[in-house]
Amino acid sequence: MPENQMELIAHLMRRAGFGATRDELEKYNAIGYEATVEQLLETSDPKWMSEYLLRRYHPDESSMLIGLSGLQAWLYRMITTNTPLLEKMALFWHGIFATGYPKVVNSKPLSDQIRMFRRYSMGNFNTLLLQMAKDPAMIIWLDNQQNHKNAINENFGRELLELFSMGVGHYSEDDVKECARAFTGWTIGNTEYMEVRSARDSDWPYGRISWHYEFDADDHDDGEKEFLGRKGNFNGEDIIDIICEEKETARFIARHMYHFFVADEPPVPQWPYQPPRDPEAIDQLVKSYFDNNYDIQEMMRFLFNSDFFKSKDCWYEKVKSPAELVTGVMRLTESVDRPEYEYPAKEQRMQFMGQTLMNPPSVEGWDGGTMWIDTGALVERMNFASEELGRLTTPGAEELFNKIASDGNGEVLPDKIVDACLEHMGSIFIQDDTRTKLVNYATANDVVRVANNNIDDVGKESIAGVIRLIAATPEFQRA
Amino acid sequence: MVTGNKTETQFLKYIHTVGMTTMRGRGFYYPVDSAMNSDGRIYTVSRSAEKTTGDTIRVTMLNEEGEYFGIFGSKGDEDGQFMWPVGIAVDSKNRVYVTDEYLHQISIFNESGEFLKKWGSRGTEEGLLDAPSGIAHDPEDNVYISDSRNHRIQKFSKDGAFIHSFGSYGCGDGEFNLPWGLFVDINSEVFVADWANDRIQHFTSDGKFIAKYGPSETEKSAFTRPAGITVDKDGYMYVADWGNEMVKVLDPDGKFIQTLRGEATHSKWAEDFLKINLEEAQAREKANLEPQIQYFNEDPHEESSHIEKLFWGPVSVLLNNEERLFITETNRHRIQVYEKV
Repeated sequence: MPENQMELIAHLMRRAGFGATRDELEKYNAIGYEATVEQLLETSDPKWMSEYLLRRYHPDESSMLIGLSGLQAWLYRMITTNTPLLEKMALFWHGIFATGYPKVVNSKPLSDQIRMFRRYSMGNFNTLLLQMAKDPAMIIWLDNQQNHKNAINENFGRELLELFSMGVGHYSEDDVKECARAFTGWTIGNTEYMEVRSARDSDWPYGRISWHYEFDADDHDDGEKEFLGRKGNFNGEDIIDIICEEKETARFIARHMYHFFVADEPPVPQWPYQPPRDPEAIDQLVKSYFDNNYDIQEMMRFLFNSDFFKSKDCWYEKVKSPAELVTGVMRLTESVDRPEYEYPAKEQRMQFMGQTLMNPPSVEGWDGGTMWIDTGALVERMNFASEELGRLTTPGAEELFNKIASDGNGEVLPDKIVDACLEHMGSIFIQDDTRTKLVNYATANDVVRVANNNIDDVGKESIAGVIRLIAATPEFQRA
Repeated sequence: MVTGNKTETQFLKYIHTVGMTTMRGRGFYYPVDSAMNSDGRIYTVSRSAEKTTGDTIRVTMLNEEGEYFGIFGSKGDEDGQFMWPVGIAVDSKNRVYVTDEYLHQISIFNESGEFLKKWGSRGTEEGLLDAPSGIAHDPEDNVYISDSRNHRIQKFSKDGAFIHSFGSYGCGDGEFNLPWGLFVDINSEVFVADWANDRIQHFTSDGKFIAKYGPSETEKSAFTRPAGITVDKDGYMYVADWGNEMVKVLDPDGKFIQTLRGEATHSKWAEDFLKINLEEAQAREKANLEPQIQYFNEDPHEESSHIEKLFWGPVSVLLNNEERLFITETNRHRIQVYEKV
């Protein structure tokens, strides 16, 4: 495998972003790897297509009457954002704190939860957990509005320990109950009315009403609790403080980070029984967690600069999720700069591939990895990528044609076409036999000829054919 | 923080609310504009959402008292159908004109909603359209259209024959950036909600620039993405300040005299709904619909999403003969009505 900075940055962009165009890679290459990491970590001024523009043309993205309305806005945002890592972090936390529409029955709080992830995803883990515990969609999703002083509901308390922080095997059933007691009274405003509306899927008389967190002191159990070996009149904030101090929390979050950003791990339920793929990497991330006072951004900085991340052993070791694949493809086309009527169809393609954001299959989110690939999903993935990237008239395709034409008039050799396409699609490194097959395909196709710095439609179609084939390769389908 | 009404001058006062959300039939579903004929019949066009089908996209006919006269239109590209309807206007013969910024055409109906004709096609040449949005008539029934993605205003005869156009992309005087609503006064002077430039521009009937309102040389514009404008016989301007979730009133010199934030109450249709849905009505009765919440960046869009009485997506302003102001709100699917004090 060739060794150069450009390919390493391409690897970084596939993981910390949604891939990169050749132009973007050249810009990053000019500033170097570490400076690129810093640019990705700088997420304080996110810009994307414009929320006003989206609301003007798709008013349902404003008040969200239709189920999963916010998904479309999220996809627009992922495709057009200048801070791709921020969106990847939102996807990351959405996969862990997975909350779904069927129980919430109101797209606005779900969308608000994703916005909360953007605000807190790169800060302190303690703060993020606290915001998550106060998040209205999460409260309804895990029934904490039914967690009362004199009748606890353990659902949120259990998932906080099992799925959001420590993992199975590191706490007792009594800890679950005590945890639940500490979160009694953490509810949403106008609980009864909002529950009735959700139960009836009501948007009457004047559309959806957003939800807000409310603390009901009268319904809060402020008595003494014993939690993870400590005693005190703990409230929810205290419980989160204790959880964040636990080494198992650090290990659990570190393994999630490794799974999402470095290489696919087995599904979470297997973690108690199957050791991490790279235990040393997990140990290093745990150390970073404590050294930096639970600061997530510092953990990400450490991860992207680590040897285990840069190692070629983990390149292409992740299967792109449908959200990553669709976003990456559309970013490569550079064709999305304003709202279009047909746009919701892109979001549906993602669903056909097996992922409906804001509607996870369970509280455990998506397993990821090779679970994304079954025969139906694979065909859909290849078809989508081939169709979108194979269009001759997108700005992205025009860039590629111009780049090839800029090498001068005359016939363009098939291997040059293949190399140009691989570079254009994000500096993809493919196996030798795959490359040979692509060159053979290009050789059998119509000749690509440059005349007056232009390629005619026959030549463009030949090039697009190569692009479509690359889109179907394992390397492109992986990250 | 609930903003409430700033009463720099008590020029307008709230009267009542008309309409409610329904996906089909009596009600609105993402209304984007309203017009009124000489008999006081209101025509409100609902844009709906792309994922829906059938007659969720429609024009609802009603009057201020909540009397319902039916609907016309549905999703599609056949005669009398819409895809992305956005503007509506009524001429002196009570014919109803609807713009469609996906089909790039104008559809015309009689006052009962029967389809009469349509015209318009996509392009950049004069007379062609790219995403026509706002629409208004002059006293001779000529039609002015915000040709939004061409960043210009075009004037047509009532039969669709091109007369002239003015403006181009930019932020200078007489230039536009995605213009939306517009109004033509009795002197045929034209007022345009120059949406992405955060201002109102004022022109002669043949497109000569007269004035602009909103931005100053030194301060941020008073408007954020204004979507609609109307002007009364005395020259007072009423602006749907869409991005700020407000309606602002300016005197004839352009001085801001009142800011409205909305104070909706139950419409007749809302009352009808609550009378037969007791479980919901009783829970609503107990709820605090004006919670005190700290909003991130004090975002008015977010505030309006939590507090139902406030404007949310005030997109269109319409004055009737008694100079009552009808404010159509896309995200709350209703019309709030104000009158002069």
